[in-house]
Amino acid sequence: MLHKSFHNSAGAALLPAHGIGASATKPAISIAGLRVAFGDVPVLHGVDLAVNKGEALGIVGESGCGKSVTWRAVLGLLPKSAEIGGEARIGDLDLVGARQSVLDRVRGGRIAMIFQDPASALNPVHRIGAQITEALRLHRGLSGAAARAEACRLLDQVGIAAAASRLNAYPHELSGGQNQRVMIAIALAGRPELLIADEPTTALDATVQAQILLLLKDIQRDTGMALVMISHDLAAVAAVCDRACVMYAGQIVETAPKHTLLTAPEHPYTRDLIGAIPPSHGPRMRLTAIAGAPPQRNLSPGCAYAPRCRHAIAVCRTSRPEPRQVAARHSVRCLRLDAGTYQ
Amino acid sequence: MTLLRLNNITRRFPLGSPLYGPRKYLVAVDGVSLDVEMGRTTGIVGESGCGKSTTGRIALGLEPPDSGGVLFQGLPLPRIDSKKWRAQRRQMQLVFQDTLAALDRRMTVSALIAEPLAIHGIGDPASRKQRVAELLHGVGLGEGHGMLYPHQLSGGQRQRVVLARALAPKPSLLVCDEPVSALDLSVQAQIVNLLMDLQQELGLGLLFISHDLRVVRHVSDRIVVMYLGRVVEQGRADAIIDQPAHPYTQALVSAMPRLPGGFDHYVALPGEPPSPTDRPCGCPFHPRCPLARDVCRQSLPELLPLGPERQVACHLVRH
Ligand SMILES: Nc1ncnc2c1ncn2[C@@H]1O[C@H](COP(=O)(O)OP(=O)(O)OP(=O)(O)O)[C@@H](O)[C@H]1O
Ligand SMILES: Nc1ncnc2c1ncn2[C@@H]1O[C@H](COP(=O)(O)OP(=O)(O)OP(=O)(O)O)[C@@H](O)[C@H]1O
Ligand code: SF4
Ligand SMILES: [Mg+2]
Ligand SMILES: [Mg+2]
Repeated sequence: MLHKSFHNSAGAALLPAHGIGASATKPAISIAGLRVAFGDVPVLHGVDLAVNKGEALGIVGESGCGKSVTWRAVLGLLPKSAEIGGEARIGDLDLVGARQSVLDRVRGGRIAMIFQDPASALNPVHRIGAQITEALRLHRGLSGAAARAEACRLLDQVGIAAAASRLNAYPHELSGGQNQRVMIAIALAGRPELLIADEPTTALDATVQAQILLLLKDIQRDTGMALVMISHDLAAVAAVCDRACVMYAGQIVETAPKHTLLTAPEHPYTRDLIGAIPPSHGPRMRLTAIAGAPPQRNLSPGCAYAPRCRHAIAVCRTSRPEPRQVAARHSVRCLRLDAGTYQ
Repeated sequence: MTLLRLNNITRRFPLGSPLYGPRKYLVAVDGVSLDVEMGRTTGIVGESGCGKSTTGRIALGLEPPDSGGVLFQGLPLPRIDSKKWRAQRRQMQLVFQDTLAALDRRMTVSALIAEPLAIHGIGDPASRKQRVAELLHGVGLGEGHGMLYPHQLSGGQRQRVVLARALAPKPSLLVCDEPVSALDLSVQAQIVNLLMDLQQELGLGLLFISHDLRVVRHVSDRIVVMYLGRVVEQGRADAIIDQPAHPYTQALVSAMPRLPGGFDHYVALPGEPPSPTDRPCGCPFHPRCPLARDVCRQSLPELLPLGPERQVACHLVRH
């Protein structure tokens, strides 16, 4: 089964470079050559990545780079106008192009997702208890007292005090942080193998943000599920994840264990991105300001980062870099690294 | 020299209808005092609804305080909309987060930057044109951008236009309300650097409002930490971040994700941020404070000096 997911036309050569090659664990999901276009505008240009069972993987990148589209494509949540290519396998099942009925079973079951804005994801007219028990009925076949007891346990697990009495509350009666906890409880209802958290704390206050991130980390550790944390904030990802991928303009440009990514990044974009974050301690240095803005659509024949990259040379504008493995679980998409001329 | 001084500012908003029962109030800002020095930055940080923007608007005279006073260059702010106030407004400008709302969609960038010059009757058309070109250049935009409309610009470019517009009348004070919160990190860094360069060059005083302590620490000389409308701690930026004295500041500092460690020293706060419509008695922070004692539930701690340059409002801090 493991080998099967490697042997596909698009991603055969690329998958090992993105980190699962060296590890013996079976991936919870492996995505290969994932492409998405809206009309004739391509927004994902071949995303290759595997999430190992039980690992916490971060996806970072700036607005519009394709973080959300990647996972929406995988879960069949994109509008019909989207053209999707490539594959996303959980076990033997390829989710790209899978029937709606199959996707319905996977979503909220084997794979659950939580979003940035919990208030809009919850149904305002239903009590939160009913929303959790509905998920338990759908994905675990629980009903009645058993479902209620389990809903109570889930609320307790996500740190909502006096869980039993909170089951009757409506979403508007809870704070933003509590609603996000409820969303996490609903996500956990189907005992997912993989939880995808898309900017789960961006809308929350700083102290609550830290609480929710640490809660996700604890749950991931305790349940052994895999976690994908999507964020534009590298520091938030670092707080939760073991490994991280940096995306730029519809592609993954660097993947590495967290510590390597933060202390020895290789891709110029990763370096610049780290330099752009105001440090939380130590001396105050001038921030790295990356000239220009992320591309709205990347149709250039060369490296997507070339127009903003301080290390770009002529070839960067004409040919596309492929991911290259620089260490065991570290891969980078940069031409100057290939040529060995960059630093 | 002190450019701006807020003296014990309070601002309340009536809740509900005046017809039924005794009037209730939401206290948005409660006894806030702070200074902005010339050529320096005072940062205000705190959670959503703690009164940062209201404080900023009062500082600019856009909204009157219910009590307390605002001194600009040592003099009280003139009454809103008076002739004197309009003249003074030249000196104090606002930069805020929502650049699309701040810019008239039907005007070109050049016209938008020239508008404040015309409003304040600065220069003649020819010299205004010259000044617009200077300002575009000053915020890192080309003359070509002058012909474009706001929706044709990226978020970072729009924020530059807003900045150029604010700088046009040569103010001595800028109040920046979440000026980079809507921007991508790489673009946020551009604007933060630009703001700091312009400040150096022009000697601007900045009141910099943000919920992001990392950005506030980066730009500020002094930091004011607000909680539920009150200042709970203020002092030199480094001191506040390196040795926060108030339990709330300690929690905020610990909730800053650090690179590479994450939240290695996280101090968990129980409960949720409170609502200003439902203020706890005693210390407003006591329901979430890990150290709260009986005295905290009963009496409001005053903002008292801690050493020469810092003030803290906490019963448990030895002043
Ligand atoms: N339904 C859609 N129709 C057309 N284009 C879309 C659609 N959804 C997303 N896109 C485009 O796809 C690109 C990637 O979007 P995506 O939402 O994945 O970005 P993101 O990395 O999640 O950004 P953010 O940090 O802002 O959430 C963007 O350029 C976006 O405009
Ligand atoms: N014009 C108004 N009428 C009634 N209430 C108001 C008004 N302006 C502000 N408030 C209330 O005053 C409190 C403080 O608001 P303010 O906008 O100053 O907070 P803030 O710290 O800037 O928050 P944020 O980080 O969300 O911008 C809030 O509870 C807000 O709802
Ligand atoms: S006064 Fe009491 S409740 Fe308030 S911050 Fe200090 S210790 Fe906490
Ligand atoms: Mg997104
Ligand atoms: Mg505000």
